[in-house]
Amino acid sequence: MANTGWDEFEIGAMLRTFEGEAGDIAATLQEDRKYTENSSFSASVADWRIEKPIFAKDYCIDCQFCWIYCPDISIISRDKKMIGIDMDHCKGCGICVEVCPTNPKSLLMFPELADEETEIAQWPAKEKKEK
Amino acid sequence: MSEMKKIKNLKEFSTSADRFEGANLLCPGCAHSIIVREVLNATNDDLVLAASTGCLEVCTAVYPYTSWDASWIHIGFENGSTAVAGAEAMYKALKTKGRLKQPDRNPKFVAFGGDGASYDIGFQWISGCMERNHDMMYVVLDNEVYANTGGQRSSSTPIGSSATTTPAGSISYGETRNKKDMMGIMAAHNIPYAAQVAPNKWKDMVKKIQKGFATEGAVFINAVSPCTTEWKFDPKDTMHLTDLATDSLVFPLYEVIDGHELNITYRPKEKDIVPVEEYLAAQGRFKHLFKDQYKYLIKEWQERVDANWAYLNRREEARV
Amino acid sequence: MAFDKMELRDIEVWDGNFAAAQALRQCQVDVVSAYPITPSTPIVEGYAKFKSDNYVEGEFVMVESEHAAMSGCIGAAAAGGRVATATSSQGLALMAETLYQASGMRLPIVLNIVNRALAAPLNVNGDHSDMYMVRDSGWIQFDAFSPQEAYDLNFVAFKVSEDHEVRTPAIVNQDGFMTSHTAQGVHTIDDDTAFNFVGEYKPMNDMLDFEHPVTHGVQTEEDWHFEHKARQHNDMMTIVPGKIDAAFEEFAKLTGRKYNQVEQYDMDDADIAVVCMGTSVETAREVAKEMREKGIKAGVIGLRVFRPFPFASIANALKDVKAVAALDRSAPGGTPGALFNEIAGSLFNSDTKMLLSGYIYGLGGRDLTKKHLVDLYTELQANADAGKVLTQQQQFIGVRGPKLAYL
Repeated sequence: MANTGWDEFEIGAMLRTFEGEAGDIAATLQEDRKYTENSSFSASVADWRIEKPIFAKDYCIDCQFCWIYCPDISIISRDKKMIGIDMDHCKGCGICVEVCPTNPKSLLMFPELADEETEIAQWPAKEKKEK
Repeated sequence: MSEMKKIKNLKEFSTSADRFEGANLLCPGCAHSIIVREVLNATNDDLVLAASTGCLEVCTAVYPYTSWDASWIHIGFENGSTAVAGAEAMYKALKTKGRLKQPDRNPKFVAFGGDGASYDIGFQWISGCMERNHDMMYVVLDNEVYANTGGQRSSSTPIGSSATTTPAGSISYGETRNKKDMMGIMAAHNIPYAAQVAPNKWKDMVKKIQKGFATEGAVFINAVSPCTTEWKFDPKDTMHLTDLATDSLVFPLYEVIDGHELNITYRPKEKDIVPVEEYLAAQGRFKHLFKDQYKYLIKEWQERVDANWAYLNRREEARV
Repeated sequence: MAFDKMELRDIEVWDGNFAAAQALRQCQVDVVSAYPITPSTPIVEGYAKFKSDNYVEGEFVMVESEHAAMSGCIGAAAAGGRVATATSSQGLALMAETLYQASGMRLPIVLNIVNRALAAPLNVNGDHSDMYMVRDSGWIQFDAFSPQEAYDLNFVAFKVSEDHEVRTPAIVNQDGFMTSHTAQGVHTIDDDTAFNFVGEYKPMNDMLDFEHPVTHGVQTEEDWHFEHKARQHNDMMTIVPGKIDAAFEEFAKLTGRKYNQVEQYDMDDADIAVVCMGTSVETAREVAKEMREKGIKAGVIGLRVFRPFPFASIANALKDVKAVAALDRSAPGGTPGALFNEIAGSLFNSDTKMLLSGYIYGLGGRDLTKKHLVDLYTELQANADAGKVLTQQQQFIGVRGPKLAYL
């Protein structure tokens, strides 16, 4: 839309989220929605990140703390299971790692350019409780 | 009446289809978004939303993008509440006249505003909406500062906080006034439901939001929203800071029904109560209070928090 | 539940406020969100009473300030229905922020402004300071010179404002007290005919359409704002005037009362003319007739539409006139009056070489007397005869103390 002229958009600077009828949106998962190019879902903030979370599924207990406390709707949970991270919308804040209760954590922060497979292969071991 | 969404536990809650989108422009680690998600996900009903000018508004509707999956309006800094009240009035009118396009829906009307928009500039508008008892919910995203404009004090900014208009300096400890008791004032409108919530205590919060949605009439919600930028802490620590706020009882969680029936909804065990000092120490905005000359303020803080907690307990006990 | 209809006599004796209230009733406004202020209060009181007596089914929200009144109107209009309110003076000043928001969001709302001076010093009487204050707010502005017109123009305002190609809020001005509280005979339209003229409200981008969620009131910075404001102006300049003319035409067919963006009285052969608004038009018309009896070819132009400013129509109406007076009923605050400036602008690049002088009059409800107008026409005739403006370009009339004249 970057070069849109004054006569090319809808009046009132109004924006629509969906193409056509929305339907029962509260019961429609993101992958099944028809977003317009104006929904920020269609945009990416991946370039904000300096560090990124990597998810090691083997340790995850699907407690969903990361899902509820993620400010960026970037924890993808389906059927009560955490299945991955939306890397277009994750800003790399690190909250998910902080709230992850497993030992070792199922989510850890790494430099943006780190390789996921490599990092998962060398995931830290279970920490011994001190005291 | 629509059926209340069943949210037994977090796993069940996580099946919600969010109606607030990512790639908004809120800071990494911003609690606003977490609060908004918990509010919106508490219902499956249709929503009519508004936001007063502030961080949430400027970060979620910057042309040509919107982060909202439900109808949403922003007018100005002071009138998010009245925008939704106007929409609610139209809903009632069209319902009476049989002109609703989808008459079988049960929309919820919700307005969001920061503490600047709510405690200060929009105070009168919110008071009007509450007094008129519109069937709506007003949610304050209370980060105790004008964060969107770069950290000026609001009437929600607590004593000793260094804000850009009340900066700590060689002869100043920052803000000199105590935080305004917005909950008390709003409850005094004798509205059917007012509650203070925190996103870390999601179950308590969602229960209150659902209670609010089930209430016919005006609902006021004050939500603590730790601000990584202005409270000066690492973005990853947002939930830790929220825990400190609720567990130190600096931000007690309670509800007030019909203006008088006060219930404390989160009561940490004695041994789990965090000293206020710990809450203050975790934030850059209070750093200067740890200088010798200002340490008395920390003690006063603790006394104030203790007194407020005692007051809430007495109110709860009195059932008046 | 159905509402009751009201039997009206062909001619009712109504003041401007009640005439406007009756129009709101007949248009079956869905939401009125309002706050009282003299002299406009009886309009919304009227709507409230109609509601109490089951003559309307809409919602009346009595808010806690004028700012909230328009905020509620904006929320209601965005939700998708017919919306109206009324205010004056200080109330309009408090409301001003939201006027720009309503027009920028392209929401149809009808605002009755009962014109009143702005403080300080405090004054409750009629002048056009409030109308002028919001002249660049992106609202269509109609001006009624009498209770009849306050009634009629409300129908036209809804029709134009709600048109999907227009979607721009509209103001109907009437003079405080002089029109609002002066009862006159008003030719009525029956309820069904009146409602049919404006028609059922047709929603657009309505928030209450849950199948099509919409975001209203976005932020646009330097990369978008200019285009949106350009669109708004373009539609005011190119679409609105034609829609107003069409609505006037249709209204004339229905009622026999024909309105024009620029009302011309005795202008066909006029050598000199007065351009003014509000109740002054009637006074000027009377004096012009008297001047004509003395052999002076005097005419009057009443501005029916203040925004969008009828640039071309004004220029055309004045093209054969020798001397013109622009009468501004607002303290100009260090510049010529608004009408003076607009008219000068509309003629500057034309072949018309008429002589233009400006008069500031009637502030705070001060009467514009026939004597004032006789003197004024006499000055205009002298200018016309001399071929130049013999006075200073800006004069105050009707104010006590030494003569005030500038420029």
